[in-house]
Amino acid sequence: MAEISRNGIIITVFSTASAVGKTLIAVNLTAELAHQGFRACVVDLDLQFGDIANFLQLRPTQTIYDAQLAIDKNPEQFDPLTYTTLYKYEDTSFSVIAAPNTLEQSYNVSAKQVGKVMGELRREYDYVIVDTMATFTELNLQIMDISTIITAVAIVDFIPTIKNMKMGYEAMKRLGYASNKIRFILNRSNAKTNIEISDVERLLDARFYHVLPNDFKAAVESIQSAVPIVLDQAKRYSPLAAGLIELTDKYTNRTGKARSTNTPVTQQNSGGLFGLFRK
Amino acid sequence: MATQEYRVLLVENDTKLLQDMATVIQETVGFQLAAAYTDSHDALNQGGIFRPTLILLDVDHIDTYAIIEDFREKFPNTQLLALGKKWSLNLFRSVIKSGAGGFLVAPFSSMELVNSVRAFEEEEIHSKVIAFFSPKGKSGKTTFIANLAMALAEESQGRVGIIDADLQFGDMAMFFNLNPQSTIVEAVRDIVFLSPTTLNSYFIPVSEKVSVLCSTRIPEMSEQVMPDDFTALVQMARGIFQYILIDLPPAFRPITNAACETADMTAVMTMISGGFEIEHMKKCLDIFKTWDDYAERVRVFFSRVEPCTEDMRQRLEGELGNPVYDIIPNEYLLLSTAANNGRIVADIRPDSAFAKSVAAIAKKMYVADRKG
Repeated sequence: MAEISRNGIIITVFSTASAVGKTLIAVNLTAELAHQGFRACVVDLDLQFGDIANFLQLRPTQTIYDAQLAIDKNPEQFDPLTYTTLYKYEDTSFSVIAAPNTLEQSYNVSAKQVGKVMGELRREYDYVIVDTMATFTELNLQIMDISTIITAVAIVDFIPTIKNMKMGYEAMKRLGYASNKIRFILNRSNAKTNIEISDVERLLDARFYHVLPNDFKAAVESIQSAVPIVLDQAKRYSPLAAGLIELTDKYTNRTGKARSTNTPVTQQNSGGLFGLFRK
Repeated sequence: MATQEYRVLLVENDTKLLQDMATVIQETVGFQLAAAYTDSHDALNQGGIFRPTLILLDVDHIDTYAIIEDFREKFPNTQLLALGKKWSLNLFRSVIKSGAGGFLVAPFSSMELVNSVRAFEEEEIHSKVIAFFSPKGKSGKTTFIANLAMALAEESQGRVGIIDADLQFGDMAMFFNLNPQSTIVEAVRDIVFLSPTTLNSYFIPVSEKVSVLCSTRIPEMSEQVMPDDFTALVQMARGIFQYILIDLPPAFRPITNAACETADMTAVMTMISGGFEIEHMKKCLDIFKTWDDYAERVRVFFSRVEPCTEDMRQRLEGELGNPVYDIIPNEYLLLSTAANNGRIVADIRPDSAFAKSVAAIAKKMYVADRKG
C-alpha cells in the first residue's frame, strides 16, 4: 500500500447507448490527467467488448478478471499495481486495468470484488477513470455508487438515442443519484444528423455540461496510431483535443491546479445531466 | 372460417366448466355442440355416433397422452384440440406429440375458439425464430429487423412477430411510433395463463402480417423479465407466427443467452466503422462455437458496409475467418430520418440500396427455409 493514503477521485464514463465515444473520452481524460502530473489509472469495465487495450495497442497479461480473483482469495496481500499495464508515450504515462480477455471470464467477474479493487485503486491514484458497458448492470450501479463523478456521454444522432438518454437519466435519478454527481457530455461525434442540439435541449428541457466538437477524423486517426489525441503533439491543438482538455480542467479544478476558471465540480450545487430538467 | 359448421365433441372432467364451455360453443357462429362428456372413456366409446368434426379434449388428467392417442386412432380424420386450464410448454409439446392439433385454455371465449380453429385450418406453421445480436450498438440492427420483418411477411405470406428483448433500451416501439398498452413485461407476467391465441393480443399489429411485442417502458422493469418465462413466451409465439425476430441488447445478458438458445438461428451483426468490429465479432463467435450445431445456427452480418460489394463480403470473410452470410449497405441518413419520424419502414424507399438488400436477404432466408 502507498504510504500516503490517497483518496482518489473516481470518474465513471457511462452512457445509455454504445458507440458514443465513451472509450475515447475515458482514455483521453486519463491521458490528460497524467499529462498534468496526476497519478491516473483507467479501468475498462466494459467487460464483454471493452476496447481500451485495443485502443492503446497493449497486450495486458493481467486484467480486471485476475484482479478481482486475487482480492477475493487474498485481500491482505492484494496489490492493485500487479494488475495494471503501463501505457507510456513520450514523457507521459498512466496505468490501465484491461477488460477480461475472454467473454467467459467477463461472465465470471464479481461486482463485489471489483468494488474492492476500486477501493484499493483509489488509494494509489489521484484519479481512477472507469469505462463502462452501456446498460444498467449490478456492476455499473455499484461503480456509479462509489464514483465521485458520473460522466454521462450523449450523442445526438437520432431520436431513439435521445429517448434513451432521457430514460437512462430518469432511471439514474430514481436510483437516487444526486444530479450534481452526474455530468452530461455531448459528443458531437460523427453524427450526420438533421437534429439541432438546441432542439434536443428544448425537447429535454435541459442543457449539456460540456460539448465536445465533431472531429471524427482525429478520433479515428488516434485509434489507428494508438496515441490519445491529447498526447499527440500534432493533434493536441485540434478542437477535439482542446475540448477534452477543457473537460479535464473542469474536473481538476478542485485541486487548484487547473488552468481554466470554470466552476469547480464539487462546489456546484446544480447542473447535472441535462442541467436540471428545468421545471 | 370453415364453410361447414364444426360439430364439436366436448370432453371436460369438471361439470361446471363443461356447462360453461358448452354454452360458449352453442353461442359461437360456425359451431354446434354434438355431444358433451365428463368422462373421456365414455366419449371415446360413445362419441362416434355423433360424427364430430372437432374434438375438444380435457388433458388435465393422468393418462392424458394415452387418451389422445386413443382418440386419434378412433377418430383419425377429426380435428382434435387439447383443453387445459393452464398452458405450459411441456404440456403443449406433449399433447402435440400425442397427436393433438393445438391447445386451448379452458374455459375459452367464442373468439378464442374461432381463432384456435382458424390457426388450425391454415397451413401448418413451421415457425422460425431468429435472434439478432450485436456486440456494440449503432449497427442498425433494429432498423434491419423492422424492415426484414416486412420483407419476410411479403415473401412468405405468413405472419411475422417482432419481440423487442432489448429490455432496458429497446427502440422498436419508437421506430414504429407505437405507444403500447401491453409490453414484454405484461406478456411474461401473464405467460402462465396464456395460450398462443391470447398471447397474440399482446403483440401490436404494425401491418397486416407483422406485429410487435414492445420492450419495457422504463429500464428498471427489465428485471421483471426472467429468462425462463421469456423462453416460454417465444415458444408460445411459435404457435402464432411463421417468423419470430428477436431484437437483443448489445451485450451477453441472461436474456441474450435465453433468446439465442431457443432460436433456430442467431444473426450476429456488427457495423464496419474503422474500430475493432472484427475483433468483437471474433469474440462473439468464440462463444457460439461451443454449440455443436454452430455452423447451422449462427449467421454473420456486417452492416454499414462501404462499398457494399461481393468483393468486400469476401474480404471481410477472410479477415474474420468465418463465413459472412450477408452485408448491408450504409444509408445512415435515410435510416435515421425514417427512425426519427417513427416511420422506419414506410419512409425507406423500396428502390434504395438498403431496401433492396433487405428484400434479397428475406428471399434468401425464405428459400433456404422452404428447402430445409
